Amino acid sequence: MAQKKRSTRSTGRRSGTKKPVNKRRGFFRRLLPYVFLLGCAAAVVLAGYMVYLDSAVRAQFEGLRWTLPAKVYASPLELYAGLGLSRSDISARLDRQGYRASSSLARAGSYHSSSNQLDIHTRAFTFWDGKQAAREIRLKFNGSGVSSLSTLDDKGDSALMRLDPLMIGSIYPKQGEDRILVKLGEVPPMLPAGLITVEDREFMTHWGVSLKSIARAAWANLRAGGVVQGGSTITQQLVKNFYLDNRQTLVRKGKEALMAILLDAHYSKPEILEAYLNEVYLGQDGSRAIHGFGLASYFYFQKPLEELQPQEIALLVAMVKGPSYYNQRRHPERAKRRRDLVLDMFHAAGFLEDEGWRQAKKAGLGVSAHSVRSTSQYPAFIDLVRRQLLGPYKDNDLTEEGLRIFTTLDPAVQAATEKRVAKGLDKVEAGRGIERNSLQSAAVVTSVEGGRVLALVGGRDAGFAGFNRALDARRPIGSLIKPVVYLTALAQPSKYNVITPVDDSALSVKLANGDTWRPQNYSKRTHGNAVPLHYALSHSYNLATARLALDVGIPNVIDTLKKLGYTGDPLSVPSLALGAVDMAPMQVAQIYNTLAAGGYYTPLLAIRDVTTRQGEPLSRYPLKIQRAIDEAPVYLTNWILQRVARFGTGASMYNMLDSSLNVAGKTGTTDELRDSWFAGFSANRLAVVWVGRDDNQPAQLTGATGALQLWAGIMDDIEPRGLLNVPPEDVIEIPLRMRFDPARGADDGAYRGRRDCRGTAPVPFVRDQVPDGLSDCDSDIMRENRYRRRQAPEQRKEDDRNWLQKLFG
Amino acid sequence: MQRLLALIVVLVLAGCATTQRTSFPPPEGPAPPETPRPERPERPQPPEPSEPSEPSEPSEPEEMPPRSAQQASSPAVLSLLNTADTLARNGNMDRAASVLERALSIEPRNPFIYQRLASVKLAEGKNDQAEAMARKSNSVAGDNPFVRADNWQLIAEARRSGGDRGGASEATGRARNYRTSSQQLMQ
Repeated sequence: MAQKKRSTRSTGRRSGTKKPVNKRRGFFRRLLPYVFLLGCAAAVVLAGYMVYLDSAVRAQFEGLRWTLPAKVYASPLELYAGLGLSRSDISARLDRQGYRASSSLARAGSYHSSSNQLDIHTRAFTFWDGKQAAREIRLKFNGSGVSSLSTLDDKGDSALMRLDPLMIGSIYPKQGEDRILVKLGEVPPMLPAGLITVEDREFMTHWGVSLKSIARAAWANLRAGGVVQGGSTITQQLVKNFYLDNRQTLVRKGKEALMAILLDAHYSKPEILEAYLNEVYLGQDGSRAIHGFGLASYFYFQKPLEELQPQEIALLVAMVKGPSYYNQRRHPERAKRRRDLVLDMFHAAGFLEDEGWRQAKKAGLGVSAHSVRSTSQYPAFIDLVRRQLLGPYKDNDLTEEGLRIFTTLDPAVQAATEKRVAKGLDKVEAGRGIERNSLQSAAVVTSVEGGRVLALVGGRDAGFAGFNRALDARRPIGSLIKPVVYLTALAQPSKYNVITPVDDSALSVKLANGDTWRPQNYSKRTHGNAVPLHYALSHSYNLATARLALDVGIPNVIDTLKKLGYTGDPLSVPSLALGAVDMAPMQVAQIYNTLAAGGYYTPLLAIRDVTTRQGEPLSRYPLKIQRAIDEAPVYLTNWILQRVARFGTGASMYNMLDSSLNVAGKTGTTDELRDSWFAGFSANRLAVVWVGRDDNQPAQLTGATGALQLWAGIMDDIEPRGLLNVPPEDVIEIPLRMRFDPARGADDGAYRGRRDCRGTAPVPFVRDQVPDGLSDCDSDIMRENRYRRRQAPEQRKEDDRNWLQKLFG
Repeated sequence: MQRLLALIVVLVLAGCATTQRTSFPPPEGPAPPETPRPERPERPQPPEPSEPSEPSEPSEPEEMPPRSAQQASSPAVLSLLNTADTLARNGNMDRAASVLERALSIEPRNPFIYQRLASVKLAEGKNDQAEAMARKSNSVAGDNPFVRADNWQLIAEARRSGGDRGGASEATGRARNYRTSSQQLMQ
């Protein structure tokens, strides 16, 4: 209506200013009815348009449903007496989560650190299993970590406390908006007050548009000598964001004003302000648009809105003007100038006291360094989460419903893994004269028990969301397959034990296609026909392994591989025995995790729980275990894998690791040194590392010179607990002297079977399958054996004696 | 059948939660008895502070394996076990399992946690998972006849309700053997 009036008036005025010409006046007089009719028609059209706009405005605002990308959380840090983290470890984690070091614990999200003590006011958080209130707690420390946990508030004792989990990202559509909704009543009052002061002083009184605001803005800009205020109201800005594209045309401006008036007429100021808080664009993170103050607070400061300090609120308010122009990471000085200006406005408007104002201006920008890469911080892991979710959830469930996804990622383990991969590659390249930045790598770390994926690195630059090598780079696994071959053999305890002699002489096999397969050892040497089985594995002999695999049968090796958790269908060819099967690091991790867990298969999981935005549980990924392989042969295999680490191809790990730490593992090297692998585990951590080149050219590295170096660094940093070696029910240990020197050959006596028990090591055997005559140390077992020998068939006794004579002389 | 199972689960849980050091040695092993006994107090009593804590003498040939979760778990894990027990008694099996998994991430090789998970799975009718969890408990229990006896009892129940009578009686036999050796240990 206003529009219409104005247009008729202006027509009239124009006609009045024109020179009165009689002829023309007559013309106009005759024209007047038409003008009137035209005016009426315009009014009708405009009214219709208004009705249309009105319904559009209302429909959109009432059905207002922001698309809310799912939020992904890391595993929460559990605090309890006995936790093996130091005070600085925990305060680093607190800093990372935006906790504020402070002398008082008045507010949630703060902590106070003193000599051997850490006081924390935790944040309230709704976990999948219920809400945990904000608490004030005190941790005390001793040399090995947290020695006690006590509570400082009056809400009762607690033996353990979870920190709120670190938000590690969102699952948003490509080119999508991301946001976290906030309610007007829950944000710090300084935020809406500040926004109104800076963006739209007349907000509470105008009708959606304000000529006064425009005039004031122009005046303010003039005084400041630059654009510090915009003329459009908060309502207009909201309309612009909501309904219109970005073209700066006059028609669009008119439409914006009209819609602003309509919006203002229909909805209350608080409703409009709340929508604005959630809609406003505040930054860009790759293809992800940061919308609303709720997410911006996490994006820039890693903490919830209600914990922001005045200078942080001012910075966000300052950015509304132009998030990229005032980007505090790229243009920190420009951003600080504007923030200080905004602080001055807060101060002048009276809601920031003198003292607070001075303090705030002194403070730095405080933008969290950790969030520089923000959601792209863990692209490989988020990729895994997304893939694991995509079965039960549809794409738009994940990008629109604001689901909360609780994952297994351990930020400390992830950080250590990323760092060790990047630095390890630099070091390997420098140490071996390999072209800089030519190598690539991928790593997976799991918890062993429970099969939780603690860290995933998809490439040398872990923040780069490119090819996810941990999941998608399938390479031949080389000797990593050998434990599967030996496990298959050891699962037949009547035929094989860890000291059974195996044949490491030259081998050629006629293949089905007419070719001949002639494997060789890495050293190109052979080691005779009586290498103890454990020795052949710990020194990764190819010939002995190939012969053993052919003895047990390749299909049986494949069967074991599948039981361990491999889902592929490898070709049943002899070269499988030496690792002619392509796998991604994640698949290797699954197989080795089953070994590490004593033969119990647990699918590797990245997700624990999914809840709705409000915290209602939706789905849980419960621990599932399956007894995949008998414990006894797995125990024997792992015993050998510990010898790989101590005495075999993996021994250089102890240049980095504490020598008291018992770990097990296996190197893997492929043809022409293309791929370098190491897979290994302690009691509580398993890590698989691959190093190679994207173009599949030789990396010039063995498993030991490449991947193992990275692996040892990772393991050293992630709080490993040593393997305990508690034999399962049907395994017994016999003390034996372990001596074998391949250079001297087998006839010279591999094991000096002395009749005393000094200088021996416990060697595991399946209970009823202990060979005769091994040792007099354990008389019970030997007595049992004598008894058994009387029962056993003649032939078998002969066999036993023959090879034992060779071994023990 | 379901009710019987639930009863057994509750008893196993209750038995584990409340076996006290002060009552050691108890007249019976920690096995669930045939007939339900009156509900014991829910909260485990902490070991009496006045009691001399019996510094394990180095001359002692064998160390007594832990008979109850109390002896083998940290306070943090115990508080989670108590929470899980309460949830399980109220039939809230899924949440109990979730709490137990949380305990497991703190003490991944605590056989008592796996044992409780086995009970919860049994009560949920997931017999295969119950057996797998009980066997996993065995595999981390080392030479602990107390834990193993209970685990084989659980396995027997799981097999019985899965219709495997032969397997069940074999498991019962193994439970009995471990019960015997646990009684020998206590003498």
